[in-house]
Amino acid sequence: MHLATFFQWLNDLPFSVALREDDWPFPIIETFHVLGLGLSVGVIVWIDLRLIGATLRRRPVSEVVSQLEPWAIRGFMVMFASGLLLFLAEPMKCYTTVAFRLKVVMLILSGLNVWFFHAKVYPKVAEWDNSPVLPWQAQIVGYSSIILWFGIIIAGRWTAYF
Amino acid sequence: MNLQALLPLRFFRWCEATGIGSMIHNSKWAFAVIETLHIMALAVLLGSFLIVDLRLFGVGMKKQTVGEVAHQFGATSWVSFIIMVASGIPMYLTEAVKLSTSSPFFYKMVFLCLALLFHLTVHRRATRADQDGGTALAKLAASLSLACWLAVALAGRAIAYL
Repeated sequence: MHLATFFQWLNDLPFSVALREDDWPFPIIETFHVLGLGLSVGVIVWIDLRLIGATLRRRPVSEVVSQLEPWAIRGFMVMFASGLLLFLAEPMKCYTTVAFRLKVVMLILSGLNVWFFHAKVYPKVAEWDNSPVLPWQAQIVGYSSIILWFGIIIAGRWTAYF
Repeated sequence: MNLQALLPLRFFRWCEATGIGSMIHNSKWAFAVIETLHIMALAVLLGSFLIVDLRLFGVGMKKQTVGEVAHQFGATSWVSFIIMVASGIPMYLTEAVKLSTSSPFFYKMVFLCLALLFHLTVHRRATRADQDGGTALAKLAASLSLACWLAVALAGRAIAYL
């Protein structure tokens, strides 16, 4: 089955039509999406800034990660669940919007970045836990995360506009 | 309730007639770019407030005192806040007349004033160096802060829909 056929099928589901055409669901879900964004990206940025060495330099990396990551994950779950519903409200619009495709690509890259951090970088945290300046791998993870998340916000806003 | 109850229509017309308002109005991209900046700053600001307010509740970043957390995460809040205001004002100037009859916009401004008021009084007191998290004052300050800033974000989103 062609991808467009699948999206068209999603688009025609009664659930999708209701989300799209009723007055209230979309604004309410979008509000949750923006709040979830604030809470997750706002917390993620702080972890990234520590990895880059821009702030919280005197705090152990493991402390910053272990204290803040659970909140970033909670915010992300709100954002992901509401984002899925927003997508289900307009599958065909998303399918035809270049910004949305870029957003999905950046989300996947961002997920790979988190995987890389936890699989390859963070296991060695004991070696540089208290160091203000971290190894280049950790810095790359921090920079990539900030750039990807700001890119995701831009692409998300663009999906709504065009 | 809306702003037209407080100020003459002439004022809102004058806002829209300013160079900035008409410049953004005539540009295809300006509004979208400015709104994207507004949302990015919102993300960073909400995240910082969440971290400080959670610490006031006695959750997260517990190895540091309330004062340290407020200092580290709160110091940059002013930067995000200035970006929000600096991007908010041009957006306001673009549609001042329309916003003068918008009740969500009115309530956004009310909650913004309340949020700032609480931030500079109760919140500032609760985050002083000698203060602890989990006290009645700390919980009050954190609840007021979270409630007001979330209300600002909610009302802001509602402007687009109501």
